[in-house]
Amino acid sequence: MRLDGKGLPIVAVSTLTTAGLSGRGLGRRVFESNHPLPSEIDAPAPSRPEDVRQRKLMSRAAWFSTLVMRGALTEARWDEGRAEIGAFFGVGASGAEMDEVARLVAASMEDGRFSLARCGREGLDACNPLFAFQIMNNFTLCHGAILEGLGGPNAAFFSRGSGTVTALEEACASINAGACERALVGGADTALHPVTMAELEREGFLRQGLKPAEGAAALAIAATAEAPLGYVEAVRVFPVDRPRGALVPRTGVLRDAAVPAAFDALEDQPCDVVVLAPWGAPAREALMDLPEMLEAELSVDASLSLGESLAAAPALAWALALDLLVHLDKPRALVLSAGPDGDLGAVVLGKGGA
Amino acid sequence: MKRRVFVRGRGAITPLGETWPASRDALAEGRSAVGPVRHFDVEGYPSQVAARVPFPLEEAEDRRLALARRAADEAWAEAKVSAAPERIGVFVGAESGRATYGTIFALSRAAGGGARFDHARFGEEARGLATSVHAAAVSPAAVASALAARIGAEGPVETISLACASGAAAIVSATQAIRLGLCDVALAGGVGADVDPFMLVGFGLLGALSTRGLSCPFDVRRDGFVVGEGAAFVVLAAEPGDTRAEIVGAARTLDAHHLTAPDPTGDGAERAMRGAIEDAGRVNIGYVQAHGTSTQLNDAVEAAAIRRVLGDALPDVNVGAVKGALGHWIAGAGAIGFLCALEAVEEGVCLPTAGLTEPDPACVLPHVVGAALRKPVEAALVNAFAFGGANASLVVSRCA
Repeated sequence: MRLDGKGLPIVAVSTLTTAGLSGRGLGRRVFESNHPLPSEIDAPAPSRPEDVRQRKLMSRAAWFSTLVMRGALTEARWDEGRAEIGAFFGVGASGAEMDEVARLVAASMEDGRFSLARCGREGLDACNPLFAFQIMNNFTLCHGAILEGLGGPNAAFFSRGSGTVTALEEACASINAGACERALVGGADTALHPVTMAELEREGFLRQGLKPAEGAAALAIAATAEAPLGYVEAVRVFPVDRPRGALVPRTGVLRDAAVPAAFDALEDQPCDVVVLAPWGAPAREALMDLPEMLEAELSVDASLSLGESLAAAPALAWALALDLLVHLDKPRALVLSAGPDGDLGAVVLGKGGA
Repeated sequence: MKRRVFVRGRGAITPLGETWPASRDALAEGRSAVGPVRHFDVEGYPSQVAARVPFPLEEAEDRRLALARRAADEAWAEAKVSAAPERIGVFVGAESGRATYGTIFALSRAAGGGARFDHARFGEEARGLATSVHAAAVSPAAVASALAARIGAEGPVETISLACASGAAAIVSATQAIRLGLCDVALAGGVGADVDPFMLVGFGLLGALSTRGLSCPFDVRRDGFVVGEGAAFVVLAAEPGDTRAEIVGAARTLDAHHLTAPDPTGDGAERAMRGAIEDAGRVNIGYVQAHGTSTQLNDAVEAAAIRRVLGDALPDVNVGAVKGALGHWIAGAGAIGFLCALEAVEEGVCLPTAGLTEPDPACVLPHVVGAALRKPVEAALVNAFAFGGANASLVVSRCA
């Protein structure tokens, strides 16, 4: 989708990484090799009474999401009319606190075997009755929406990369169609949850260099703005062929798809900054020649600094790119994400006047 | 000018039928599939009934896949559409699948087997455990990926995880994708396969399930929903073919109110319905397929919102809620609701609310009770409202 004119204004950005919760500065930190290595994030504790209550029901990703939503809303100064603001997020497979699962299972064991009958009798009493809220994927979006009062059009896309780009695409489409004038869009996820780690291991991603991480990012975009940070000029997901049964395409196929995707997204416009978000070594190899082909002045591999945070990774890469445009005073960036779902996400960002 | 979005094919597998026509006929008679859970021991569970698909299914990594394939195949075969692979999209409302008990047990054992999860030990043993956690069984995206491969779709493939609004929201996304020109043909719908211990535990602990074992939307006796399962899909296209119906309105909103309870004012639901009707332009709504979960607050709030939205037009409208017959499919709920609305528009068959015998005065609406009502319907409204406050509404209309 190519947006008309300059594109849709980006009014504010909020990110949560191992460097903490911040509005701007991610690009600069990464550019100056000053960003802490990806690891478990020391997430800020709840500060409001309502946060404290709801935090008990939240998955880790939902808490991340809430923090970046709040950060973006604050920076955008969107205090009024929140019921009209849309929210579009890429979300992961929301993981419950494993202690809850462990308690339920432990209480359901009988003679060394898992007993359904015992689960019904004792297992249920052993875990948090509101445990279900941690495992429903949409709650990564909905907890934040409830706490911040967002009531506009919305969608939570399951994402290991491209779903988050789809979230941006739908947010832009909703604003263009007049369904809302303002929207938060982004992603929040953790690849460090034990079940997700086991999945990534099972699927072979860890062996191929995927560096599991966690994080979140939200962009506040609007139909109009006087001095935005930047603009979303184009956004598109490019499906990539893969062998039957394979989760990701072969390196050569991804490379062959990435080149036309980049040119298609840019529509022959020059690109000063390229930010790549490849999930691991094969995807990195597929994308590594692209900045030179695009004659970009600067390229950054976001995944090397930030790790692979699945649904959050593309949104963090957008925030990083936007910050680089501002920091280095460059007009245009291409963000190309290739997550472990196999498809390519291309987002073209323009520098604003802020 | 928006591109038009035509409904070219329908398919469903439900607890009442292996196909949409078989299901529809049973629904039209007012039959219900709600009954005792027999495939696992529910002693001690807060709710002990469900609506489960009783038909044999082909082997699959996950029950969601087996159900979704059947419904999608039926819809795709009926549609008889042709388009370049890159112009075909797949939009699925789905939540995560469930790991097997063996996996859960293995997880627990790898983490020490105690009441505390030992992350360090889990990390050490994760590699050995990994073979028992299969992405195709647990990933929400597995369904959409499998269906895309099955029909040769190479356009947008999206998985919408909005809990009980997922299926309807997926149809909204498909509609928007065709309108925007991102694809020309879309397979869209939802699947729910939640008649399992963990969902009965989870929803039961929340107090959301019927302890009486009744699924009776809008009835005075309602005391919670009954878990159901099934899959429903439609094929949408920019070209009309010989279709008789099109999607003319779509909207999604958030309540921003509470995790489980709808906003008691019904504001989010009302805005979704008004948004879809406004998007549709001038249409005469003749049938509403309500979300109608059979929970105390949801039904009363939705009924009031429907009355406000339809206002003076209400006497010309009839309302049905399919969860009375099929239970609540969670991620698939909005998709089967959409098929019911489509039936009203295409065939003039307004499907009833099974289980509704004593309408609650707080839920006064022109309900269809007993058996289907036959009347011409120009347009129908579909609602799907989710835990967490996400709402989706659609308007389907006869082709002009």
